[in-house]
Amino acid sequence: MSQKLTAVIIEDEKNICRFIESILAGESYKTISASTGTEALSVIASQCPDIILLDLGLPDMDGMDIIRSVRSFTATPIIVISARTQENEKVAALDWGADDYITKPFGTSELMARIRTALRHSSHQGGGSDSVYSCGGLVIDFEKRLISLDGEEIHLTQIEYKLVSMLAKQAGKVLTYDYLMRQIWGPYSDNNNQILRVNMAHIRRKLERNPAEPEYIFTEIGVGYRMREE
Amino acid sequence: MKRAVLLHNIKITLFLLTAATLLSSVFFLLSHNSANVAILYVLATMLVAQNTVGYVPGIAAAFLSVIFINFVFTYPYLELNFTLDGYPVTFLGMVIIASLTSTLTTHLKEQTQILKEREHMLIEAEKEKMRANLLRAISHDLRTPLTGIIGSAESYLEQESALSGDAKAKLVENISVDAQWLLHMVENLLSVTRINDQTACVKTTLEPLEEVVSSALQRFRKRLPDAVVHARIPDQLLMIPMDATLIEQVLINLLENAVYHSGSQMPVDLQVSVEENQACFHIRDYGTGLDPEAMDSLFDGYASTRNHCSDSHKGMGIGLSICKTIINAHHGQIFAKNHPNGAEFTFILPLGELMYESETDSSDH
Repeated sequence: MSQKLTAVIIEDEKNICRFIESILAGESYKTISASTGTEALSVIASQCPDIILLDLGLPDMDGMDIIRSVRSFTATPIIVISARTQENEKVAALDWGADDYITKPFGTSELMARIRTALRHSSHQGGGSDSVYSCGGLVIDFEKRLISLDGEEIHLTQIEYKLVSMLAKQAGKVLTYDYLMRQIWGPYSDNNNQILRVNMAHIRRKLERNPAEPEYIFTEIGVGYRMREE
Repeated sequence: MKRAVLLHNIKITLFLLTAATLLSSVFFLLSHNSANVAILYVLATMLVAQNTVGYVPGIAAAFLSVIFINFVFTYPYLELNFTLDGYPVTFLGMVIIASLTSTLTTHLKEQTQILKEREHMLIEAEKEKMRANLLRAISHDLRTPLTGIIGSAESYLEQESALSGDAKAKLVENISVDAQWLLHMVENLLSVTRINDQTACVKTTLEPLEEVVSSALQRFRKRLPDAVVHARIPDQLLMIPMDATLIEQVLINLLENAVYHSGSQMPVDLQVSVEENQACFHIRDYGTGLDPEAMDSLFDGYASTRNHCSDSHKGMGIGLSICKTIINAHHGQIFAKNHPNGAEFTFILPLGELMYESETDSSDH
């Protein structure tokens, strides 16, 4: 890597901020920290970072407002750092344009994996994405609309295929129930996401050896689904 | 306060007597029979006694009724006359009946009130006891890992130069392990806040069983990567009404229990079966089994901290009591027993009406 990637860390808790900085510095990122929302917005506008790590609980500003403001001028990936219990908050952040979230407390490897995924997706946004998803024994050819598992072709219904390909194209990223519902069943789809859950269950029966221990599609309780990425 | 009660009593008494008078007048004008009149007034008196506070209104109503009947409904009309043949007896009887009913009703009401209060106090006391137990367990369970963290950190800071590299690594590892344990504890406690205080119930939605199980296993593996769990669930899609976050917590607690307390490295079985409109979750370990003496108080929260293992760093502590709280809030059951090769925890969730996913296949080939 010729040039260092820049990460902005928006977090008012000094200890957490310091430890994220040291992780990122170890992976040779350039880090800039901000402890308030106003500071964060000016830093983001002036430094054009490659990635933003955002803690939602800031003293001066609602985290959602920061996401909204940032999204008004840049598509820089945002990873939200949130507490375990606030599913609603996570979902709202994702729906407002955050790219991913990570739950406190998290480990080094988890944080780096999320950052790499987000960076990869943001670099894809300009050009076309891969035409094939391949992970473990699962191969999806988006052009031919073919799915095979361990070399054997899998037959999915149209909706099931749409769901799987959508998750696969954004593998590693969590897609919310709401997002999937809107993408597949349209903007006026029912609030009730049972139909989505049922379809996912059918997909799981076709793709996974043991639905209780899935290898490819993971559930984030209360938020949505995430496809494995390698 | 007293004035309000007095006002209330007067209002009720006057209203009921007026109602009785009106009704009686109608009856009297239609049938000219004063027998029904007396009965209507007795009824009114009873109602007065029932709906007012104290003995006075009932008795007063009884006297007023008697005087009123005499004044309005007996000859000579609109005059008081107690000298007619037999009337004194009637009136005396009526006063006594009315007073007695009124006293009885009032008394009964007081009794019920006392009973209700006593019951309420009992429930409160029970709640208080549970809260105290939980607090005791919490403070114990939180203090243990905190002591470890503070101790390790301080000895590192104070003797940094004297410690060997190995010893330092050990101290930091201790801190990490204790912090993980603390986190687990706090997550358990937080989960309880999702349960409604008043009704002790949770908001449930239909969740696919496999998603909850897989999510719990995922989180469990993150914490204990070396533990092996064999999960087996029914083949058909099962939707269970629950709060998924809470049930996930229960599964993780029970799995960790099985790993920490079985005293064996054997894989743990997690099996879900459907029986009579219920989903039964079995978590089975192959180790030393449960101490029969501790069986009764297993889910009380502080049992394990009180006896034997004083280093109950990995004591069951509040984990199991929180499991019970969560399962109760789902109207389910949780229990433990020993099987020949170890211990088995089972919890049961009712499936409700919408149990099986009928093949609402949304396919559009």
